[in-house]
Amino acid sequence: MTDGPLIVQSDKTLLLDIDHPLSTECRRAIAPFAELERSPEHIHTYRLTPLGLWNARAAGHDAEQVIDTLIKYSRYAVPHSILIDVAETMSRYGRLRLEADPVHGLILVTTDTAVLEEVIRARKIQPLLGARIDAQTIAVLPSQRGQIKQSLLRLGWPAEDFAGYVDGQAHAIDLVQSDWKIRPYQELAAEGFWHGGSGVVVLPCGAGKTIVGAAAMAHAKATTLILVTNTIAARQWREELLKRTTLNEDEIGEYSGAKKEIRPVTIATYQVMTKKKNGVYAHLDLFDSYDWGLIIYDEVHLLPAPIFRFTADIQSRRRLGLTATLVREDGMEGEVFSLIGPKRYDVPWKEIESQGYIAPAECIEVRVNLTENERLMYATAEPENRYRTCATTRTKRDVVEALVEKHKGEQILVIGQYIDQLDELSEVLGVPLIKGDTPIKEREILFNKFRSGEITCLVVSKVANFSIDLPDATIAIQVSGAFGSRQEEAQRLGRILRPKSDGRSAKFYSVISRDTIDQDFAQNRQRFLAEQGYSYKIIDADDVFQGKI
Amino acid sequence: MRSFSDYLRSVDDAAFLALFSARPDLVTPVPPDIASLAVRACSPPSLARAIDSLNHWQFQVLEAAAALTEPFTPKSVVALTDKASSTALAHLISIGLIYPSDDGMRLPSQLRDVLGNEPAGLGPASMAKLKLSELDDAPADARRALERLVWGPPRGSVGDIKNPGPGVAWLLDRKFLVPLDQRTVVLPREVAIYLRGGKIHKENLVNPPQLTGTKRDERQVNLASIANISTVVRWVEELLNFWAEEPADALRAGGLGVRDLKIISNHLGVDESCTAFITELAYLTSLISIDADDRIMPSNKFDIWLMQTPSDRWQALASAWLITSRASGLVGRADAKNVAALGPELDRVNAARVRALTLLILKENTSIAPDLTAFNSLLAWRAPVRRNSSMQEELASWTLREAEWLGITGQGAISKYGIAFLEGGDCEIINEDLPKTVDHILIQSDNTAIAPGPLEHEVSQQLAIMADIESRGGATVYRFSESTIRRALDHGKTGDEIKAFLIKTSKTPMPQPLEYLIADVSKKHGKLRVGNTASFIRCEDTALIAQIMNDKKLEVLAFRRIAPEVIICNHDAADVMRFLREAGYLPAAESANGLILTGARSIRALTKPRPPRIVGEIEVPTLDMLNAAIRVIQTGEKSSHKQARLRQVANEALGALPRSTANETMDLVNKYIQEEKSLSIGYADNNGAVTHRIIDPIRVSAGALIARDHATGEVQSFRIPRITGVAAL
Repeated sequence: MTDGPLIVQSDKTLLLDIDHPLSTECRRAIAPFAELERSPEHIHTYRLTPLGLWNARAAGHDAEQVIDTLIKYSRYAVPHSILIDVAETMSRYGRLRLEADPVHGLILVTTDTAVLEEVIRARKIQPLLGARIDAQTIAVLPSQRGQIKQSLLRLGWPAEDFAGYVDGQAHAIDLVQSDWKIRPYQELAAEGFWHGGSGVVVLPCGAGKTIVGAAAMAHAKATTLILVTNTIAARQWREELLKRTTLNEDEIGEYSGAKKEIRPVTIATYQVMTKKKNGVYAHLDLFDSYDWGLIIYDEVHLLPAPIFRFTADIQSRRRLGLTATLVREDGMEGEVFSLIGPKRYDVPWKEIESQGYIAPAECIEVRVNLTENERLMYATAEPENRYRTCATTRTKRDVVEALVEKHKGEQILVIGQYIDQLDELSEVLGVPLIKGDTPIKEREILFNKFRSGEITCLVVSKVANFSIDLPDATIAIQVSGAFGSRQEEAQRLGRILRPKSDGRSAKFYSVISRDTIDQDFAQNRQRFLAEQGYSYKIIDADDVFQGKI
Repeated sequence: MRSFSDYLRSVDDAAFLALFSARPDLVTPVPPDIASLAVRACSPPSLARAIDSLNHWQFQVLEAAAALTEPFTPKSVVALTDKASSTALAHLISIGLIYPSDDGMRLPSQLRDVLGNEPAGLGPASMAKLKLSELDDAPADARRALERLVWGPPRGSVGDIKNPGPGVAWLLDRKFLVPLDQRTVVLPREVAIYLRGGKIHKENLVNPPQLTGTKRDERQVNLASIANISTVVRWVEELLNFWAEEPADALRAGGLGVRDLKIISNHLGVDESCTAFITELAYLTSLISIDADDRIMPSNKFDIWLMQTPSDRWQALASAWLITSRASGLVGRADAKNVAALGPELDRVNAARVRALTLLILKENTSIAPDLTAFNSLLAWRAPVRRNSSMQEELASWTLREAEWLGITGQGAISKYGIAFLEGGDCEIINEDLPKTVDHILIQSDNTAIAPGPLEHEVSQQLAIMADIESRGGATVYRFSESTIRRALDHGKTGDEIKAFLIKTSKTPMPQPLEYLIADVSKKHGKLRVGNTASFIRCEDTALIAQIMNDKKLEVLAFRRIAPEVIICNHDAADVMRFLREAGYLPAAESANGLILTGARSIRALTKPRPPRIVGEIEVPTLDMLNAAIRVIQTGEKSSHKQARLRQVANEALGALPRSTANETMDLVNKYIQEEKSLSIGYADNNGAVTHRIIDPIRVSAGALIARDHATGEVQSFRIPRITGVAAL
């Protein structure tokens, strides 16, 4: 019996005891093939998935190394079935290869004819194939490269893609590191992506994903298309790129509802890409208007369904996905992996926090009691209105007031889902509100004022969930949300994770109505962060009023 | 010439010991004398069983012996096979498949029947004198025909025996082929042996094939094995705990339904074949019982089992598995009809034999995880597929799989625990080698708790109530949620008890969200109360309710006041009304939906009426039926008249019939067959009438004596149980 830090479970999860002296070494050893699932305070959970094992194969690890690592660090005997499974799964990779053939174009080649025979009989695969060339080779329609990779993955015979990427039109891009330095993990992430060809980088909010994008562009040195969630985010990317790279204003174009510029580096919004005119997507030409060498998907967890389809058609271009939370409530994580590419880099939030790159944050759940009247209203509300009823109770308003009062002088964001509630809060608190119909100009003015400290408190609707850069927000107060969305909670916390100049820790308040579905949803919402090691503290609304916190 | 029983009378005790240990069926039950022993040893079932125990090489030697005419010499066997045959021959003699007579080696009389008519694909011996050397100059056509038949089966069909092709004609002329019927020819034994080059087998498989496979490190094997052992014990425990809460329903045809199997498979997190194996283990060990209502639930033996040390618990499982004839691998087998676990269709005759042999092979090849094809070919050599063995390979592969699940093997190779178990030795060492149990958990803020090793029984039982298991293995991951806390409360724990237990057991401080979760759920728990009652009394006047509660005359009704205005009672409403009226109250009946029931009660039965059956009245039969009845009566009358006459004839004949006991009969018959003498026998016909026959016995086959009847001159078969006695003429 060894005394290693790792426990290999029979359901293919790996439990890593992080208080063990060998834990860091072990984490590094298993990271290439196991996917980090949860990282709470004592034991981190990794999982062995076919995808993870195939990625490891793609990165040059073989089954023997994986098995040796498991046995070396394991505390108890590793279940034999798992060792067999690892070897079997990994041996499935590479039997099929996609290659570019000078004569036939894109071809599917195999070393194992039986496998090829199996896959070409699959109903999903047949329409993607061209003519049979010989026993081991078959032509693939070049436009179906993404589709066939996805389908093969589902069949359990992943194809190794040797067809390569088009270089795209060259364009000089470099990082300018005069007054800042790229952080080690950002560099690792960019390199991990570049060697993998395509893929997704997962970093916590505020950990500088834009820089990873810029670094990737500096690797590619080619024309780049960046897809972002909204116009504000587009502007922020633009500013960040101007600051961090050799690009100048004329080289960066914005392609949004307002402007339609196509430049060597073009930043487009998902919204404009999915806009339909007379029933057809009007702006798809953008994908073909330049010989793009790199396509970056910001906040890839929000990727709208139509973009999935376009992405399938451009598999010969390098693709980089950026996100903080690859949890999709619609369960489409798998699609993201197979179309954009596998996860290339991931790191526990708490680890980056301990390195000081994101601010430590305290999560507090404030529970308010409903008044008798409100309880009655909640009890009799129609099922579809129940959440709204309990999430927007008047009692919450008093708590928010008290919290804002308590943190006077600090930069505060009040975030909510329901406009009526936000209107009311904005009025009571006497602070501006930013919501969906606030014009871009006004939003920018308000954000700038907030940044400069001219105003210290803002009420924002869900429009501010993503990609708004509020450097010194230290307090976030959440009054309502999109039901039980885990990633929304994480994104909102992300608003306050940028390191503070004075090293202060941020505070994230979530105001919840006790004994209602608000509380149940809150529990689900907190799950992702709890799994990242954020421990929620629960306090009573009365404690806030009495200043006990 | 000696008979087999004479031979048995001549051997010493050591030979008997060898014979009985190789063929235990000969002494269960112990035969009364040597004659009966000889009869049993020569009976086809016992011979078949003995042949099943032979390996491929021994079987080849036996085939060679069967190809020779009796008596034969060991030398002639060597000539047909290999020099190494002498050891095999000695073994065959020791288990009574060949015996030395005074004039050479002989086979027990019915052995040839058991082996089949064409041992090693050889045809009958030729009646004519053959010039075998002529075969070397056979024309090409003849050669082709011979090639078809030489390795058996020795029969070939021709278009028409009268008009054969030139090759066959050449062979028929020289008696190298013998016509069997209109369209069939057969190759005589001598010709085949000559063409086979004086041998009878293509290859003499003297030595077993090498068992190849992956070499395993002994330490790793034992580690893996101990992990498997702890896992299988845990599986069984979890299965039974699961059924203790929710017993499964057995199918009407017996066994566990597919749906229930799936539920358990999900619960345990293993596939369905493994689940079937686990349920069978519990069944074999009597840890579960199926009650009269067809519910499957743990028996009280489970509690005893739980108190035992891990090694005893494991041994109980493994020992039951070792000897069972049930093959759980049959459950959910692809492309077969669905066979239910715990059902009546799992028994296979040779399951235990194949299992024992498989384990023996594993034990002889330590630190090798066998390669399946190599294993199968070795298995085929050790136990050539003959009788009832179509499933041998499957049974063996199931055994390998199950041995791994059980931890007899680790990483496919036999472990020291497996060896100790198979040798019947002490498995105490398992207790020492199992991972040390831990008595604590680590609670984390995402509402999970992790036991970083096998938990102490007491702790894991408690925890299993409070949390769901999310991941199993060396460690266990538990998840707390509202429903799991509620379950603990339903089990009678209080919120404070749960909290105290977790604080005591956890090495890490209890996260606040969990504390709140427990508090929230326990606050809400039990606010609503649900129960059954037979009747209620409702009154808006609380004073009247109080009066009723205090009324001595009504005490017998055992009222319970559940609200100021409501009393419940476990007696029927009609009775309660009667009592109340007698006590001077004025109650009115109320229906469940609050309506006053007025008027006299007039009761209607809830069940469907069933009038009594009418007895004694007979339907008038039709003419057809009457005619049929007359025919039946007349036929019966005729046949009983005839039978009476036959019985009379038989009684007259019976006086002069030979009488012998069953064993004597067999012994005498076997003896006279070899001596080729005529016999007088008494033989019972279908109606029990015994006749006296004079016969020439030819052979005994499949429970019948084949003999020529002097009266008719025809060869006919006499069923042995019907022979009342034998006497020499």
